[in-house]
Amino acid sequence: MLPAVVFWILITPFYNRFLSLAGEKLTRGTEFPAVTRLDLQDAHFLFVTRSDVSGKDGFVYKFRLTDVHFNLILTVALFLAIPAVDSSRRAENLGWALLISVLFHLLVLFFVVKFVYSTQLGSWSNAHYGAFAQNFWGFGKHLLDLPFKLALPFILWVGFYFADFQRNLRRA
Amino acid sequence: MSAPEPTIGTRSSKGSPGSNTPEPAWRRYRRELGFLIFFVLILGTSFTLIAWNPVNDQVIEPFTAAIARAGGAVLNLIGQQTTMDGTIIRSSRFAVNIRNGCNGVEAMLIFFAAVLAFPATWRSRFLGVAFGFVAIQLVNLIRVVALFLTGVYLPRLFDSSHTVVWQTLVILAGVLLWILWASRFANAAPASPLGSDDSYRTRSA
Repeated sequence: MLPAVVFWILITPFYNRFLSLAGEKLTRGTEFPAVTRLDLQDAHFLFVTRSDVSGKDGFVYKFRLTDVHFNLILTVALFLAIPAVDSSRRAENLGWALLISVLFHLLVLFFVVKFVYSTQLGSWSNAHYGAFAQNFWGFGKHLLDLPFKLALPFILWVGFYFADFQRNLRRA
Repeated sequence: MSAPEPTIGTRSSKGSPGSNTPEPAWRRYRRELGFLIFFVLILGTSFTLIAWNPVNDQVIEPFTAAIARAGGAVLNLIGQQTTMDGTIIRSSRFAVNIRNGCNGVEAMLIFFAAVLAFPATWRSRFLGVAFGFVAIQLVNLIRVVALFLTGVYLPRLFDSSHTVVWQTLVILAGVLLWILWASRFANAAPASPLGSDDSYRTRSA
């Protein structure tokens, strides 16, 4: 667990920077005109701004970006802890797991931004998003940001090591 | 004449004897896929259910209030002099509101989904669910008490402790409990609904 925590603490400043840039590109890629800006401040907080909506403090929403990806700790810990797997296969599987995690974090970030736009901006949200869209983005954010974010390390671990786990059970 | 032993490092071919035709990927990984599909379906359904207002108001909120009462009682036992108001635990120095995400329900549902999706007898599954409920709620009670004490004595660390440290520890506890359950209780399970045991082979490295 400790190496996983150290790994996560070391990469967090760079990873937050990457997620804010990639998340902004992803969000702006789905907008016409492109109006979203995602600014990282204090190393951990993401400020969402729209050039066509003036927020009270210059932004429309802020949240702790670091909370999106703390599941990396558990992913790395579980993949490093699996016994009797040769190091090259362990490294390859961990690499794939981290890649899938990055894509998942970008998806969570995208859903958080759309959730903010569709439900958190009061009359602006109601004017621009219908009931179905509000429920879609809200429910999608709920599912991704809670159960699937928490379960992702386990899902990845099972996906890569289920056969090994069952084989070990049979040997026991 | 005995049946051939499973070969570690290869997957069995269900094709004709002597055939070198590789199995399709979905068949080679059907156990993993079966488990993951059931797991994700159960998880998605259960979280949809608890997000539904009537269930949230009638089940989750009272359950969370009970956790707050239990947490407050433990804190009073160690001299914190707290009062409880619904899902809020309050003292003269700090107050914490236990909300969804902090009541252990998420970790329990992830554990339950893993237990139900894993090939095992229904008796083993029932024991797993009961055992997991108690164990995860005990871990969560420790989390509530520890977080309150963090808020009182180390308020600077509360945010990180709340999300990063304790969420990770509670989910880790759920995963370890599942491994323990699968090792101790589900090991002697009969043939899986996801495929017969004699078709089992491990993935190549």
